[in-house]
Amino acid sequence: MRFSIFRFDPERDKKPYMQDFEIELEAADRMLLDVILRLKARDDSLTIRKSCREGVCGSDAININGRNGLACITNVRELKEPVVLRPLPTFPVIRDLVVDITRFFEQYHSIKPYLINDEPAPERERLQSPEDREKLNGLYECILCACCTSQCPSSWWNPEKFVGPAGLLQADRFIADSRDRATRERLDDLNDVYRLFRCRSIMNCTEVCPKGLAPSRAIERIRLALVKDSL
Amino acid sequence: MVQRVSAVYMLLFLVFLLFHFVLTPPHSYQAWRDWVRSPFVGIAASVFFAALLAHVWVGIRDVVLDYVRPIGARVLALALLGLCLAGAGAWLVRILWLPRP
Amino acid sequence: MLRPENKRPVFFNPVLIQMPVGALTSIVHRVTGILLAAGIPFTIYILDLSLQSDQSWSRVVHLLDAWPFKAIAIVFIWALAHHLLAGVRHLLGDVDVGSGLISARRSAWMVNLGGLAVGLLAAGALL
Ligand code: HEM
Ligand code: SF4
Ligand code: SF4
Ligand code: FES
Repeated sequence: MRFSIFRFDPERDKKPYMQDFEIELEAADRMLLDVILRLKARDDSLTIRKSCREGVCGSDAININGRNGLACITNVRELKEPVVLRPLPTFPVIRDLVVDITRFFEQYHSIKPYLINDEPAPERERLQSPEDREKLNGLYECILCACCTSQCPSSWWNPEKFVGPAGLLQADRFIADSRDRATRERLDDLNDVYRLFRCRSIMNCTEVCPKGLAPSRAIERIRLALVKDSL
Repeated sequence: MVQRVSAVYMLLFLVFLLFHFVLTPPHSYQAWRDWVRSPFVGIAASVFFAALLAHVWVGIRDVVLDYVRPIGARVLALALLGLCLAGAGAWLVRILWLPRP
Repeated sequence: MLRPENKRPVFFNPVLIQMPVGALTSIVHRVTGILLAAGIPFTIYILDLSLQSDQSWSRVVHLLDAWPFKAIAIVFIWALAHHLLAGVRHLLGDVDVGSGLISARRSAWMVNLGGLAVGLLAAGALL
């Protein structure tokens, strides 16, 4: 199978370049990450970040044939050849396929990703009915891999000001949480031409999310909540 | 919000316009002018153009916010846009409401 | 050691990043919006001419009959059709109709093709 992989070593290279690789698939090669790791066994300078290798940690998000995804849960046999691998678009490249997503996490922190509730804590825990818990489905599963935000045109143009799909999905996760008391403040914070309203519902985010989540829908729900709030 | 409300109104008006032109196209200057100058059409058209200008303001502002990064250029672009839209508005008021020879 | 961030390259080339149908619909919605906006002064001018006098009205009628104008008109009709259909798709999405990924993909195709169909229809009617 033929691969074309983005290479950049800050110690040696002035500019990134694409390097071709060729490797026979073996029976055990199921996911793209398996093959990348075998390539790495051959050329140990090839760098990718990975950990769980089962789509849970989000560290091996890369751009695969133009589309962001997790190498560890991408079926390698379904990919068109040559398989072109690049780092996630718009993030500074640390080395080869590894990018610095500090900016992504800054946006994530900006939505206060934790429960805010000043009421005195009950003796044991803050309970939630099964129905209320249900509302968090499709929101809490996000693994913060940044596939969506990196494929979002609105995030390309205003990365510092637009929260981006992942951050907004999490904002909705806390807005939807029955135990959170800061819904108002959260909505006010997002009611801004930049923070929320840069989203043009292009839905690239939902197209690429490797966990099958729908940030575009969460954004829509926040928008609707804002409209209801202002009426 | 402005964009959505204006969009809905424009959509309705454009459909109305389409039907008018297909079903009873104006054949003479007189007929056309009387139609435009009738109070109903005059008001509906004025609201349409107001909606259009508001829609375009939000629309082009969004485009500028996306692609024009330097703050000076951005302010300039928005000022220019506002000026053009205000000019268009004034022109339209003249066409639709001021007496003609 | 890592170099400072500003020495790091960035992969960003929209042509090499895959664009799903929805993205195409969206970018064309933007382009057509700009095109239509650019056409406003001309539209107002035509409206002005058509309402000035008998003679200027006939000039407008002649103008609308000339083929360069028709060619431009077809482009604008396509643009308006696409913009309008994509706009309706947006508005439906706002009230949570068709915002699932599958239905959004389908409606994106419908908008793209529907706009072209109206454009072709207009071409047929005008030429
Ligand atoms: C005929 C004159 C029109 C002009 C000149 C115009 C212009 C524009 C422009 C420049 C934009 C901004 C594009 C962007 O941000 O990507 C826009 C957005 C929009 N237009 Fe129009 N438009 C017109 C008619 C309509 C109509 C009739 C509808 C109703 C269906 C409509 C629905 C929309 C919507 C929903 C948006 C928002 C898109 C978004 O949020 O990304 N437009 N328009
Ligand atoms: S929403 Fe999906 S693509 Fe975006 S960060 Fe979360 S898991 Fe990744
Ligand atoms: S729907 Fe919004 S957040 Fe998602 S990719 Fe499009 S612009 Fe970005
Ligand atoms: S290695 Fe953890 S998500 Fe792929």
